[in-house]
Amino acid sequence: MTNENPAPAEAAAPAFPGIAAAIHAALPGVPMTARETSTDVDIRVAPGDLPAVVEALKDREELAFDYLRNMVGLDMQEAGLEVKYHFYSFKHGHSLQVTVPTPPGNPHVPSLTPYYPAANWHEREAAEMVGLVFDGHPNLKNLLLEEDLRIHPLLKAHPLQAIEIVQGIEEGKPGFEF
Amino acid sequence: MSIWPEEHVATAHHGEGFDTVDMTINVGPQHPATHGVFRMVLTVDGEMVVDCEPYIGYLHRGLEKLSEANDYRQAMGYWDRTDYLAGLVCEQAYCMAVEKMGNIEVPERAEYIRVIMSELSRINSHFMFLGAFGADVGSFGTSFIYAWRERERIYDLLEEVAGDRMFPTYVRPGGVAMDLPENFEARCRWVLSSVYQGLEDLDGLLTGNEIFVERCSGLSPVSPETAIKWGLTGPMIRATGLPWDIRKAEPYSIYDRIKFEIPTGKQGDVLDRFIVRLAEMYQSAKIIEQCLDQIPGGLVLNPKLPRNLRIDNGECYVRVEGTKGEYGVYGLARGGNKAYRMKLRSPSFCNLSALREMVVGNYVADAIIILGSLDIVLGEVDK
Repeated sequence: MTNENPAPAEAAAPAFPGIAAAIHAALPGVPMTARETSTDVDIRVAPGDLPAVVEALKDREELAFDYLRNMVGLDMQEAGLEVKYHFYSFKHGHSLQVTVPTPPGNPHVPSLTPYYPAANWHEREAAEMVGLVFDGHPNLKNLLLEEDLRIHPLLKAHPLQAIEIVQGIEEGKPGFEF
Repeated sequence: MSIWPEEHVATAHHGEGFDTVDMTINVGPQHPATHGVFRMVLTVDGEMVVDCEPYIGYLHRGLEKLSEANDYRQAMGYWDRTDYLAGLVCEQAYCMAVEKMGNIEVPERAEYIRVIMSELSRINSHFMFLGAFGADVGSFGTSFIYAWRERERIYDLLEEVAGDRMFPTYVRPGGVAMDLPENFEARCRWVLSSVYQGLEDLDGLLTGNEIFVERCSGLSPVSPETAIKWGLTGPMIRATGLPWDIRKAEPYSIYDRIKFEIPTGKQGDVLDRFIVRLAEMYQSAKIIEQCLDQIPGGLVLNPKLPRNLRIDNGECYVRVEGTKGEYGVYGLARGGNKAYRMKLRSPSFCNLSALREMVVGNYVADAIIILGSLDIVLGEVDK
């Protein structure tokens, strides 16, 4: 699927597979864990460390992740909200997933818009969909939802509602189960 | 006596200190030039755009929530409604994500069929762009009808194979729904020959038209660095001269066995975006021809799959080269027959986020053309 180098075969499960080893070497002071998903290497860092990590990812010659391709906001229920960033390097052709878990009740993550302007709309979408707050974002308005709507539909606690009930045309219990 | 206050009257001899007032123009959401339900608010100083704010979400259908609420096969029907001009590419991406998470094998013949169908959809979608873009620039009707002739033939072919024109729900996790019809190869080659003819006609009509070329060349050039910074992908980034195509950079399916070129532009202006898409259609036709030569026999659907597909644990970010750019599907499975989270990285969404940067500083009439050259599909932007 990807053309990144597979992890060397001598160790069964290295602590830092593939590109994660270089990132760990570049940022010795930052606590992080790494694993592999089906398509990418994934590193996990705390929200406070994100700016330092992203600066290193972007500016280091051997990493050179110049392209933020995707961003996902997730509701991990009792574990709090999570953000996942997908980076790609046009120079080296490798890709990376960065997971940033936030503690329950404190969904604040530093905004990546100063580093990657492409993050602008991705962050607005994640903010409205799961209720993440991106500190430092220039314009954190609703993007896909109505401007004054203050719901976060992709939270697991948010029920799937019949549109007639949302619009107030019909009375009913909010939400239904498939 | 003038009805205007003295200082706001424009006269020939005091143009210097003449202050202008910015005006706000609302374009859309119901407007033929916005290619769907899209609204942008332009602030103009005379004829120049000084600010642009896009508003999207009119077509938001909650794709991601529905993918969590329905099981893997049920949710599939929603995904070809994203990029509705090339639904089969989206189906392929979604099914690849499910297959990655569940480690499902796909028969080789099914991979070839998927590529053939995807490339047919790509040609179809680009024809739509050529026709609509010609209409944006001013050749109203002619280019549209020229493009439609070939589109109908491709849609007929898709219907023969999959049973539906636009939303066939033909690709399945583990393969495709049914095998190709008997006379498919001959029919497909005939459609391709007519595609070549249609491309030549459109090429002559638009690229051979000096007014069209004058209108589009040099308009809103984008450098490769800016394109990367803003996350532009697909024909948009190839127009800047960067030969980046996911089919080559991170090959998936059987694209590593196919020979094709990546057409690129020079300066990333509107004309380059047009020419890159035109050249890509020839490449897609070449890919289909090679697939028809190479396609093996055998099954088209993995027979070992259970009726109720359950995936214990899996995470992936699958990306394919959609017709508009990088079409990515992030999937997370945590047991059960439904995905825990599916996220669409839609190329139109990311390309559109750079609209303001491209439009500001141009004329209002050019803003419409620049928007047209992005080739957005609102189903994909709004999810």
